Amino acid sequence: MSLSVIAVISRFLEEYRSSTSNKLKVIDAYLLYILLTGAFQFLYCLLVGTFPFNSFLSGFISSVGSFILAVCLRIQINPQNKGDFLSVSPERAFADFLFAHTVLHLVVVNFIG
Amino acid sequence: KSQHGSSGLVSLLVFVLALEAQALTPSHYLVASDVDRLQAVLSQPFTDLKSAYFSVVGLSKLGVSVADSNDACSFIKANVDSSSIEALFYAAEASQAISSCEIHVSNETRDSLHAAVSEDSTVSQIHQAVSALSSLGLPLASQEVVSALKARISKEDNVVAITLALQTASRLSQQAELGEILEEIEDLAARLDDLGGVYLQFEEGLEATALFVSAAYALSDHVDMEPPLKEDQVIQLVNSIFSKKSWDSLSEAFSVASAAAALSNNRFHKPVVVSAVGPATVSHSHPLLQLHVTDVLCQPLSSANVLVESATSVASKAAILSQTPFTLRDGIFELNFMASKPASGYYQFSVAVTGDSRLVANHVELKVKVSTKVAINNMDLSVVDKDQSIGTKTTRVEYPNKGKASFIADSHQNFAMTFQLVDETTGVELTPHQTFVRLHNQKTGQEVVFVAEPDSKNLYKFELDTAERKTEFDSISGTYALYLMVGDATLENPVLWNVADVVLKFPDEEAPSTVQSKNLYVPKPEIQHLFREPEKRPPTVLSNTFTALVLSPFLLLLILWFKLGANISNFSFSPSSVLFHVGHAAMLGLMYVYWTHLNMFQTLKYLAIIGSLTFLAGNRMLAQKAVKRYSLHHL
Repeated sequence: MSLSVIAVISRFLEEYRSSTSNKLKVIDAYLLYILLTGAFQFLYCLLVGTFPFNSFLSGFISSVGSFILAVCLRIQINPQNKGDFLSVSPERAFADFLFAHTVLHLVVVNFIG
Repeated sequence: KSQHGSSGLVSLLVFVLALEAQALTPSHYLVASDVDRLQAVLSQPFTDLKSAYFSVVGLSKLGVSVADSNDACSFIKANVDSSSIEALFYAAEASQAISSCEIHVSNETRDSLHAAVSEDSTVSQIHQAVSALSSLGLPLASQEVVSALKARISKEDNVVAITLALQTASRLSQQAELGEILEEIEDLAARLDDLGGVYLQFEEGLEATALFVSAAYALSDHVDMEPPLKEDQVIQLVNSIFSKKSWDSLSEAFSVASAAAALSNNRFHKPVVVSAVGPATVSHSHPLLQLHVTDVLCQPLSSANVLVESATSVASKAAILSQTPFTLRDGIFELNFMASKPASGYYQFSVAVTGDSRLVANHVELKVKVSTKVAINNMDLSVVDKDQSIGTKTTRVEYPNKGKASFIADSHQNFAMTFQLVDETTGVELTPHQTFVRLHNQKTGQEVVFVAEPDSKNLYKFELDTAERKTEFDSISGTYALYLMVGDATLENPVLWNVADVVLKFPDEEAPSTVQSKNLYVPKPEIQHLFREPEKRPPTVLSNTFTALVLSPFLLLLILWFKLGANISNFSFSPSSVLFHVGHAAMLGLMYVYWTHLNMFQTLKYLAIIGSLTFLAGNRMLAQKAVKRYSLHHL
């Protein structure tokens, strides 16, 4: 059983390494970074406590929001999805990404206290 | 159907009676000392012609003549200035109030007075001219006056002017057309302010109200038509005018005297003032209920019939009297209430004053107290053994003596006291509001008070269970003086009687601490304010560790990007690109500044500026990139 899981995972990683373009890998690295940041914040909250709660929330929501926006960017940039996003060019996607981030961070910084 | 009719009639009658019972009676009125004070104010020596007028005419309204009439007359004659209408007015009115004091005026003066009666003079001038002509016995053209007044009233629409117009009209011939001026009374009455249902007065003040009253009644009497004032309004006017018992100026005192004279002697309304002489209390020593029944000038209504319509006991609602007349003696109306042998307590009297159709507020409700003296009978003191094995020794003590022997009670015994409280004269049993038994320890100063309660037969009992009550006494044994305290509002002789001495022995007495009088008024311990404790924070080491941990993925990101070969080699140094990056960096910097210094509004302001620049630059830059990519793909 465990053997097949390892086989699946290694196969997936191999496919990933070969078929994904560099641009997408860059974004995936960013996604991993955001994920880890959020996870560590959550770990702190579990271990030490929620004080100050507003700071934790704002930090965590920042991570989650950034992750979601980066995923959106990745989806929109991926040339394989071009059919779904005829009106959205990669540049437009990037501009939306920046704008959404501005709004998100405005709220996050307001809430961080 | 007849039953419904009769019950309807009965309810209507009850309703009417109820309404009558609610009629207003004067709550503010002049008593004899106030009238004397008013007279004294008006009797001050004259300073000028105006004050002479106020004094002389004011005193005549009170029915008193000025002290030295010859002196007054010569003063008036000396100070009159024939060229001033006002001076002539004061002189004429004052001289008319003094008997055998006549002022002669020349033809020119008379003509100037007539000339003053025109539409060009003020109402005040017309009033003074007309009054002067009338008091001097000179003829005047009433119809001209009426038309001049009507013209002036429409121009001078204030309270004082219209009051003067009314006063002027009352001096004119009865054949003149005074109807329109008469209607002004009603219009003016509508301008009165009702304060709390008790007072009715003009906002211009007491003087204006008082002068209005005297003018309205003067004119009403002159034309023999009842003024359009309801009875309650008349009483409210009485309350307003006579609420002030000392007057700021001679003119104010004069106006009050005028109003008082008008209200006590006009053809239509005569307010009645009913008040008890002293407190409304009767007892065996003072069996007469005495009432002052007067007009507003404190003169007794000798021709009136004063009747008690009903007198009911407040406690038992039983009617004691019905339709009983008062007798007049020396200006005071008296009734021997004790002759009806009322029990002590409070009685509600409904008094009616009749005999004159003009009387207003002639139904009065009065609360009368009947007091009595209390006697204490059959005061029996005994010490009873709890298990009732030993017979009780009862000692009788007579008021006001003190029991000769002390009574000893220890924890196995009860101390008991029984007595009766009766009306001294009639022997009827009483239950006063306060019947207390007080035990006072002379040595320690401690005192304990208990209440003695009557049983169903009105026999008072007090029992002291020594063991049960030891906490009240702090278990301090010793000799206590026993006092009986009896008091009530209807008792003339409240009682404080040292009945006997009682020696109380308490079991297991602690070391007798000196009784600390429970002083409630010493400063209490100070309360220190506790500021809100800041929340507990985790240790700095832990926080720092986690900060580093949270920032570490960034390092991982840089490493990964480096491994992937991400670079900025494609960076074009076009102005829009540079501007975009600068703007974007500025926005990130603004976020930091927002966190540390700014508030949302300031941030939004800066963000709008930087953001729009960055947007324009970024738009340009991305467009250029798009063009490049497009051209690359479509090569």
